[in-house]
Amino acid sequence: MNKVDVKLWKIPIPEKPPECRFDWTKERPERVERCKYFGNLKAVVIDKGICSHCGTCYICPVRGIVVEDKPIDFPNWRKDCIDCGACIRVCPRYDYTPLNGLGEYIEAVAGKSKRFKGQDGAMVSEFMAGALEMGIIDVALFVARDEEFKPYVVHITDPDQLKDERITGTKYSFASVMPELHDSIKHVRAVGIIGTPCMISGLRKLQKVVPLYKQKVKLAIGLFCTENFYHWQLKEFLEGRGIDLRKAVKTDIKKGNFIVTYDTGEEFSIPVKEMEEIVPDGCKVCQDFSAVEADASVGSVGSKKGFSSVLIRSETAKEIFEYLKEKDYIEVGEVKIDVIKRLCDYKVKIHPYPKG
Amino acid sequence: MVRIKVEKPKVHKSVALHIKAITTAFKEAISPGTITIHYPRERRKLPDNFRGLLQLDKEKCINCFRCAHICPANAIQMYQRENKYYPGIDYTKCILCHFCVDSCPTAALKPSKIHDVAFASLSTMVLPPEELAGEPEMWREDTVTVEYDFDGDLKMIKRKEVENLIVEVEKPKRPEFVAGAAFPENCIACRICVNSCPQNAITFKLQDLQTMVLEIDFEKCTGCMVCIRNCPTQTLLPFRREEVLKGGESDEQG
Ligand SMILES: Cc1cc2nc3c(=O)[nH]c(=O)nc-3n(C[C@H](O)[C@H](O)[C@H](O)COP(=O)(O)OP(=O)(O)OC[C@H]3O[C@@H](n4cnc5c(N)ncnc54)[C@H](O)[C@@H]3O)c2cc1C
Repeated sequence: MNKVDVKLWKIPIPEKPPECRFDWTKERPERVERCKYFGNLKAVVIDKGICSHCGTCYICPVRGIVVEDKPIDFPNWRKDCIDCGACIRVCPRYDYTPLNGLGEYIEAVAGKSKRFKGQDGAMVSEFMAGALEMGIIDVALFVARDEEFKPYVVHITDPDQLKDERITGTKYSFASVMPELHDSIKHVRAVGIIGTPCMISGLRKLQKVVPLYKQKVKLAIGLFCTENFYHWQLKEFLEGRGIDLRKAVKTDIKKGNFIVTYDTGEEFSIPVKEMEEIVPDGCKVCQDFSAVEADASVGSVGSKKGFSSVLIRSETAKEIFEYLKEKDYIEVGEVKIDVIKRLCDYKVKIHPYPKG
Repeated sequence: MVRIKVEKPKVHKSVALHIKAITTAFKEAISPGTITIHYPRERRKLPDNFRGLLQLDKEKCINCFRCAHICPANAIQMYQRENKYYPGIDYTKCILCHFCVDSCPTAALKPSKIHDVAFASLSTMVLPPEELAGEPEMWREDTVTVEYDFDGDLKMIKRKEVENLIVEVEKPKRPEFVAGAAFPENCIACRICVNSCPQNAITFKLQDLQTMVLEIDFEKCTGCMVCIRNCPTQTLLPFRREEVLKGGESDEQG
């Protein structure tokens, strides 16, 4: 029988009486261009080709900013932008200093889930499942895929939902995690998100600007990442090589090769170097391989086949990891930190900023 | 077969029963005890807050959409008139629950005692705001208003008068709310609250490029919660009006 666990929650009511008047004094960046704030974001980030497509700017209160499978845009911004400057204030690439290296971490381990089947060791899924079971979060935003590997965001409230293999596993295309977070922030109590390093950077900046997101986003798992793709470009590229994503059950990047596995077991391998032309410009200025601002970062390099490498960075992530071990949900293994370090350095080397 | 033996009534008992029956017949002939109302020549007196057809006072409506949001039958649609929106009611759907009347923060939607309605066709049952305002066309044949008296024996009280079916009722006391800035630190200065407030109770002033002062006039605020629904970052929340005022007082004293 299905057990329905209804968690009741209230909007926290502040202790002091509400204010009928408040002074809003927050830094709004200087305008570079003499036009509305979105025009500034466009000039400084989007048109310069350093936008990471993380989607944090979807905070736009009039929902004018379109985050889809194409460069970020605000059609008709000259008329419809209300010039609040929120997009600029949360954009991790406005006023950009690249993050890089391994970052700070409490513990580096390798892990393999005994419950779920994921891209590698399904440790991402385990962390979120653990957080759900421990009550740290009520809902986790996961990136699922359709039959053509186009990503879309789903809300996971029960670890059993993660048995669906279209929900776990890597999709090498921009996913609308941040837009979904913005759309649901008022309706959730505590939420966990998974994202590429740029999304995690966006989240952290957002949390500084709007404390509501700090209060509600309780867990942020970062994925190791070298580059990501627009879905239509990836699909077209693979079609050009005679690969049909509809027949695929897994996509992966291993040892510099993009590997597509069909349901028949057939494997196709393309050197990532040959995909250079479809790597979005925004990824080419990113040096953050290990998602240094995440609560925990997970990737495949640095551990044995079937294991995920995990860098535990925050106390929350540590607690969840201990819980997973105690419940015997995971198998723990060795991680080669120097291999991860090498990839961090490699990313800095291939993505110089400012562009040479 | 079992035969049930019925006792023959005694003579004196039978006489008593007959007398009772005859007196009842006389009583009924003089003052009949029927409780049927001869509608439409007579009408029953209805309570003032009877849930009949709805009335709209366009002057009072602040176009906050609360009625349209709360309607469980989805019978209310907002119609654009000039620069405002007013509710219209689809009586093919309306269940006359009067949630809309209850939720209206300014008592712009009012109840009436009209409940016997005829429409010429289904399409005429969809009333735009104009047709909700003012009295509908009425034919009345009634000359007598009837009330039941439930104390003791059920009695009918008939009065030779015609009841007014549209009466002003005072809105029952309900907790009053105002919108307050609960978490000002979350504000992203989008001013959607300012622009969406139907009462213009929220104002903002740009002091310089970095500083904006946002002010909510609790006097003007009707607690319609449009701003709260629209605020993208949960900066505003509803508060009980009396608590807000109390809070203000203690602030002054301390
Ligand atoms: C674009 C991209 C590039 C990557 N590049 C590398 C790399 O170069 N080297 C490396 O070691 N690892 C890389 N990874 C990480 C790796 O592929 C695995 O995601 C990671 O090891 C976690 O595996 P897992 O089995 O523990 O996770 P799982 O339990 O399988 O869960 C993975 C979760 O990640 C989320 N996810 C999948 N795709 C996306 C997406 N596009 N955007 C946001 N969230 C997503 C989903 O919610 C999914 O459930 C990359 C991941 C992505 C998304």
